[in-house]
Amino acid sequence: MKKVVSILAASAAVCMTMLSGCSRTVSPGDIEGYDEGEQYLSLWVHIIEETPEGQAYLKSVNSFNEHYNGKYFADVEFIPRNDSGGGYSDKVNASVLSGNLPDVLTVDGPNVAAYAANGIIQPLAELTDDEKGIYLDSIIEQGTFNDKLYALGAMESSVGLYYNKAILREAGIEVPEAGNPWTFSEFLGILERLKPIMEEKNGYALDMTFPVGEATIYYYAPFIWANGGSLVSEDGFETDGYFNSDKNIETMKYFRGLADNGYMSSVPIQNLFESGRAAFKFDGAWEVNTIYTSYPDIEPGVAPYIVGDEWDGGRYTPTGSWAYAVSSGATDVEGATELVKWMSGVESGLELYEQTKSMPSTYAAYEQISAFTDDENYKALYEQLRDYGHPRPKTPAYPQLSSSFQKSLENIAISGMDAEEQLNKSEERISEKLERYTRK
Amino acid sequence: MTKKNKRNSIMGMAFFGPALVLLTVFLFIPMILTVVYSFTDYFALSPDTTHFVGFENFAEIFGDDLFVQSFLNTVKFVLIIVPLQCLGALGLALLINKVSYCKKYFKVAFFVPVVMSLAVVSTLWMQIYSPEGIINTFLTNMGFDPQPFIHSADQALPSIAIMSAWQGMGYQMIIFLGGLQAINPALYEAAEMDHASAWKKFKDITLHELKPLCVFVFITVTIGAFRMIVQPMVMTGGGPSNSTYTIVYDIYETGTVNWEIGLASAMAVVFVIFVVVLTIIQNVLTKDKEGKNENKK
Repeated sequence: MKKVVSILAASAAVCMTMLSGCSRTVSPGDIEGYDEGEQYLSLWVHIIEETPEGQAYLKSVNSFNEHYNGKYFADVEFIPRNDSGGGYSDKVNASVLSGNLPDVLTVDGPNVAAYAANGIIQPLAELTDDEKGIYLDSIIEQGTFNDKLYALGAMESSVGLYYNKAILREAGIEVPEAGNPWTFSEFLGILERLKPIMEEKNGYALDMTFPVGEATIYYYAPFIWANGGSLVSEDGFETDGYFNSDKNIETMKYFRGLADNGYMSSVPIQNLFESGRAAFKFDGAWEVNTIYTSYPDIEPGVAPYIVGDEWDGGRYTPTGSWAYAVSSGATDVEGATELVKWMSGVESGLELYEQTKSMPSTYAAYEQISAFTDDENYKALYEQLRDYGHPRPKTPAYPQLSSSFQKSLENIAISGMDAEEQLNKSEERISEKLERYTRK
Repeated sequence: MTKKNKRNSIMGMAFFGPALVLLTVFLFIPMILTVVYSFTDYFALSPDTTHFVGFENFAEIFGDDLFVQSFLNTVKFVLIIVPLQCLGALGLALLINKVSYCKKYFKVAFFVPVVMSLAVVSTLWMQIYSPEGIINTFLTNMGFDPQPFIHSADQALPSIAIMSAWQGMGYQMIIFLGGLQAINPALYEAAEMDHASAWKKFKDITLHELKPLCVFVFITVTIGAFRMIVQPMVMTGGGPSNSTYTIVYDIYETGTVNWEIGLASAMAVVFVIFVVVLTIIQNVLTKDKEGKNENKK
């Protein structure tokens, strides 16, 4: 039987090698710019080369090769990732089996833990405090697993609680400062005041949905943290007593209250906020640009993310984006780490902002971009990220955690199912998936 | 083997060879691997730690509420769409067969959705089904309550089934149309002389002559319906409350998103066995009837 398995495993490896592209040995002179005496470093990114983001990566790689001419040569390969998450990750998975991983690859922030726990990526070479200090805390947090730094990104992200200034003026509502956000109870009071006004406008106080996919945990897990809960233990291997804690049950019930009281629509209505029919909306930082360019009649503001009534001032707001990590197949970890540092550095972040308007990962980049110093909305989003940014849960079972969170939230808030039962059911499911790691 | 035979067989292999290689690499080996993996705990991120686990995966999926629900959803979808699409296609074919004006136009018009990408059709119908979409606007103007359609756990699956039937029935319509045109007009003329009613003519001539095609359409629509994934993926993401989560969607998510290849393979094996058994049953049942009909003659 074992023989049959080995034959099949071998044929699988052959197939995977064919799919992942045969490992190639690159010699100096094979590629333009790769000269004798240089260390070859392969890099995979998840974007199409012809996109603005792809061009930004290409530019950063070229400048790396120029800077380290004679020492390192980075060769970038663009492997598009499709909307459902396949493509790039399929190639990474196939390469794990065939052993053809590149030296450096891009990893989505929440997947760092799974990749690290399964030995696909290895810790970066030691960075000095000064080197680490250029990055926002959220970037270091996102890339750290088991007290080791695995990944650094050039991009960060944030979600804003946007409000329609005209509507809040009409209702006589003042927005608090960043350090003093509305609490859950205060926010309910505000929504109650807005409800009749919004009903007159054929709308809702809150433009909020719980879509399938990553957005739900990204936007709404902060409610959990800001209410003193968490989704997973510190080491990422336990969910019992965390995911299904009393605090989380309470938070889930809060969401249900928002739907039950008619502060939000139970079915998604397109462009509710953008058409002036919602006073508040949770959305990514890109929403600012969307409103500025496509909905000039709306005057948006960014309010601080709301917090639990007993919030202790801790970090809680959404963060996270793709990052660079050194694969376990890399032999020159020092060189690969240099490439990671370069690709996630200030210049790369500025280039990415230039091309895609994505939020950078370094303090220095923010200081050089006028939008983050002059525009009140972009500034608020940056300050929220800088002072209160919290990474998504770090656990190897992140995909299950993310989908379970969305399903629980949808079932509890929209379908009115029992919060405790739903969280317990989801927790069991995630726990089962974590057994793979805990029984080792 | 004669020289001619040998040459023929070399020629045959030359034509068949490339296809055989491709089929082996992309179909046969993956099929065998799927069966083997279904008995392992193969995890995409750490293939080195793969162990044989016997029937553990199968026990796990049958104890998994989500798999059971996705299975039931798929069966429910099949039960809605198969009669809808088969009868719809037959109805359209009969109508088009009758009309004398713009026959070509109607044929093309009903066939167009078939050639459109399912993702595009799904996106289009998301707008049609949206709370402020064309159907709800119509309902509201007529004095009815707006419906949540794909945003409600009760209505999402039937809504997707209706859309899918609309998208797919053009293909079966063309098949039925071909069948209708192949029926000998003399049969109708003879019936006419015997003063047979329209219903009698339809039942005893049209339906009878179309029977082999009906079996084909019935089986292909059923198998196609079992494979449904694109529509919920684009329109609902399997929600609300997993009401549109199908088996194939579960297999995809388990293998690709959650990296559990072993578990996903076990699901795929169960799925294939189920569809094969069902197809055999369908075949046997329909064959029996044909046999009986032959005997009657």
